[in-house]
Amino acid sequence: MGSQKRIAKELAELVESPPDGILVKLADESNLYLWKVYMEGPEGSPYHNGKFLLNLSLPTEYPFKPPTVSFKTKIYHPNVTNDDKGSMCLGMLRADEWKPSSRIHAVLEFARQLLAEPMPDDAIEGRIAEQYKNDRKRYDEVAKEWTRKYAVESS
Amino acid sequence: MADVGDRMFCHACGGVWLRDVQGLICPHCESDFTEIIEIPPDPDAEPPSPSPSSAHQPPARSPNPWADHDPWAHQEDDDLGHGWGDASGGRRGSGSGSRTGNGNGNGDGTGFTHRTYRSPDGRFTFSTTTYTHGFGGRSPPARQPTDPMMPMVQGLDSIFHGLASTYRQQNRPPTSVPSSNPTPDRDRGRTLGSFEFDLDAEGRTPGSQDAGLHPRDADGPQPVNNPLRTLSESSILELFRSDFGTNTQTGGGVRVMTGPNPLAMLSTLLNFDRHGDAVYSQEELDRVISQLIEQNATRGAPPPAPPIAIQSLPKKKVDKEMLGSEGRAECSICMDAVELGTEVTVLPCKHWFHYGCIELWLNQHNTCPHCRRSIDQ
Repeated sequence: MGSQKRIAKELAELVESPPDGILVKLADESNLYLWKVYMEGPEGSPYHNGKFLLNLSLPTEYPFKPPTVSFKTKIYHPNVTNDDKGSMCLGMLRADEWKPSSRIHAVLEFARQLLAEPMPDDAIEGRIAEQYKNDRKRYDEVAKEWTRKYAVESS
Repeated sequence: MADVGDRMFCHACGGVWLRDVQGLICPHCESDFTEIIEIPPDPDAEPPSPSPSSAHQPPARSPNPWADHDPWAHQEDDDLGHGWGDASGGRRGSGSGSRTGNGNGNGDGTGFTHRTYRSPDGRFTFSTTTYTHGFGGRSPPARQPTDPMMPMVQGLDSIFHGLASTYRQQNRPPTSVPSSNPTPDRDRGRTLGSFEFDLDAEGRTPGSQDAGLHPRDADGPQPVNNPLRTLSESSILELFRSDFGTNTQTGGGVRVMTGPNPLAMLSTLLNFDRHGDAVYSQEELDRVISQLIEQNATRGAPPPAPPIAIQSLPKKKVDKEMLGSEGRAECSICMDAVELGTEVTVLPCKHWFHYGCIELWLNQHNTCPHCRRSIDQ
């Protein structure tokens, strides 16, 4: 299958030369379509020092259909649903914006960039977006608190 | 007499169950729009005490024919003779009996079939009047009436037919049953959906598993059967059911009631909350459809390219210029490296891909996977 070949290739490239602060592996060695992504909170953001686990799920029609990204680690962010799904709203992953020449590499970098710079105008959590725009200090506090609580391995 | 609990009928899904066992809420769809179907005590049910010569009587006979009564069971019964075939077999295994069928049902199975069964020795005879209709729960789509009111009209028509023929039969002497034991009361109570036996001196009524049919004892005094009792319990409810069956259409898992349907209106009145995805009004249907559109829409996504446009895209063998300064290139869909001389398909924007790769994409969207330019220009 064409999609498997391409996915294997992308995975190999990502494992060989991972983007900054991102580590990928298969959730299950026998299934190319479900990836585990470990993402470090970018420096300068309230997520710094946190390590977030994301699930990346590829459709069988990949690359003709976009992958989906969800946060398994709880995160306080305007573009991530504040529920147990942790769905991430990425413009490039929407069906009408996806193009098959986009790579998972780009998707993951984009996701990490979103941690550094949330997009409140494209938010999925309106309340957090409002806070981000109007009360950045409080937003930073809560996001930091959540990062400490959920994304920092107790050592 | 066997204890027969009330039966329940669900107006939402048409399910039937015993009230004693599963209560008032429909166990199938959990609707509470249900009805207790009261079964009147049946004086016909008690068979006369068996005579000593009845050794060959079937032992597993149900003492109360209502115990197995299911007004809809005959919808599952393709063979109209099935039930009484059993009865004769159980009676004495005299399967050699002659069976005269003078059904006056028309071609599509709607109408009445009157049949007479006579044992070879003439000792017992029984006849059936079977009410049949062509729009039961499983009627094939080919027979679907075009007018949504048709099933209703047909059903009522059949009922009136049935009443008329019932009274006709009541008012004339039996012609088809030359029994050796004349029974004074045999004119009474030949009802729709019921059958009766003319029995010899051993007179017993074989238990019947057949739906809507119940045996009569010709030897004892009989109350006049009220044809409406049978009607009300099988035909009318069945009519409602058949109305459900023929008026629903399935598309995308949404059941839609079309046309005026009193049961549907009643259901709408009584069901403020929706059951599953069955809707009964245009408004509700519109709501469901817009919901589906919302779910499936790839809003703003470019439409698929026509196959002819895809096939007519120019093809080209990869040359040095296309490989660029690095001397190697890949198809950005499958990410496979492309070598010199490989045939690729070139879009109007000059981006090129394997034909198989770009075809798959263009079948979904008519834009370049790289720059999003439409292939139409």
